Amino acid sequence: MTDKPESYEVAIERLEQIIDRLDSGQAGLRETLDLCREGRELVSYCAAELDAVGEGLKELKLDELAAKLASSAES
Amino acid sequence: MDLPGPFPVGRYARKLEEEMRRRARVSLIGEVTGLSRSKAQAYFELRDAEGAVPCTIWLNELEKLALPEQGLRDGTEVVIAGGPDYYRGSAQASPSFSFRATHIRLAGEGDLLARLDALRKQLKAEGLFELQKQLVRPLLPRTIGVVTAEAGAARRDLLAGLERRGWRGTVVWAFAPVQDRHAAPAIAAAMQGLAAQPQVEAIVVTRGGGSLADLWAFCDETLCRTVAMLRVPVISAVGHERDSTLIDDVAAVACSTPTHAAEAAVPLDCLAARGALDRSVVSLRRAADGAVGARTPHLVALARGPARALRRERLALNQKTREIRAASERGITERLGFQRRLASVVLERAVRRASGADMERRREGLRRAEVALRAHEPERTLERGYALVEARDGTAVTSAGDATAAERVRLRFSDGSVGARIEEDN
Repeated sequence: MTDKPESYEVAIERLEQIIDRLDSGQAGLRETLDLCREGRELVSYCAAELDAVGEGLKELKLDELAAKLASSAES
Repeated sequence: MDLPGPFPVGRYARKLEEEMRRRARVSLIGEVTGLSRSKAQAYFELRDAEGAVPCTIWLNELEKLALPEQGLRDGTEVVIAGGPDYYRGSAQASPSFSFRATHIRLAGEGDLLARLDALRKQLKAEGLFELQKQLVRPLLPRTIGVVTAEAGAARRDLLAGLERRGWRGTVVWAFAPVQDRHAAPAIAAAMQGLAAQPQVEAIVVTRGGGSLADLWAFCDETLCRTVAMLRVPVISAVGHERDSTLIDDVAAVACSTPTHAAEAAVPLDCLAARGALDRSVVSLRRAADGAVGARTPHLVALARGPARALRRERLALNQKTREIRAASERGITERLGFQRRLASVVLERAVRRASGADMERRREGLRRAEVALRAHEPERTLERGYALVEARDGTAVTSAGDATAAERVRLRFSDGSVGARIEEDN
């Protein structure tokens, strides 16, 4: 398992590189299989990130958020 | 102290009053704050980011100006004409300083634009327009902060824009007035509050359209300096497309509408991104399948090679086996014939040996052997008067000791046998 990408944009950029490389047809069998495995991990990460902002809009007021953070800091 | 005087203070106050009233009459622009009225005068402060002066105007002069209803109120940008005044007071009355206005008008677009232009040049020269633009805006933030009026249409439009993007993360609202003299400090405080929350990844500040005077809070120098220094990217969507406020200049991104602000706050179109991700999955699968598939014919050919060779070898082996079996069957038949021939020759020789002189000589030999054998038979000995002592089990008793031990024996003669008891010879 490769390291978790630092952000969605980093993941998607790497995924595009991988697909470009695969589409070029220049990768050998071992490289192709490695790239496919890495690509599938990146797809999973990106899908999870999209899921995180796809479940339902949450609305908070700033003072509520600040109070929540303060109480969690105390506990 | 080596100074002139001491002078009587009342005379000094009158001189000061004369001095002040001689000063040049000017016009000033600023925001009205702390407006109040007495029976004869109106009092207020004219203020901007750098300072303020206390102002007065006689009510009868104010009425002659025919300002619009509620035109002069706190937060209004006005241009006043007049000059400094000093009331020297009296034995009972307190002295006071003010800028005595003789004319007031609401600041026009031109006045505000001129002030805005000056401020813009100043902030730009200080490099404050670039700071926010150097910040990295996340493609897919999970939490965004929004500063707007609680009841504004901008709030609804922003949410609609986010929904259209397919984004349903967390919105942290920091509501603030967006159009009065309290607006700029409240907006600045709200933005600082949002930026202090670690999970807030971008801040949108938005309000609907209006005149430049309505949007003037968003040109506030202090507010704009605050925004420029925030470490969280700010997306401004204040007014309509033609409106240009100072906050637009210092923000990371300036948008014409709240809908556009939603797109800038969440640069990734989540719905399109899901589609792209699905296509990536297809590309990866195709590449993986293709990598194997393209090599399959070659592998199959390689795999077939040994099989074909084996089949060829097997066929050859089978052929050899058949040949060997045929050969061995042929060999056995031949060997059988040979053995039969050999046996008949041997038999022939034996028959030949058994006949004739050879046969006679053998018969003679046999007769002599028979005679010799008969000479050794016990019966022949018994006939000559000997008897054979046998134990009850038929074994020969060959010693006196054995006979004594046996007690009863049989004596075999040539014509039969009789029982005998052995007695001790006394």
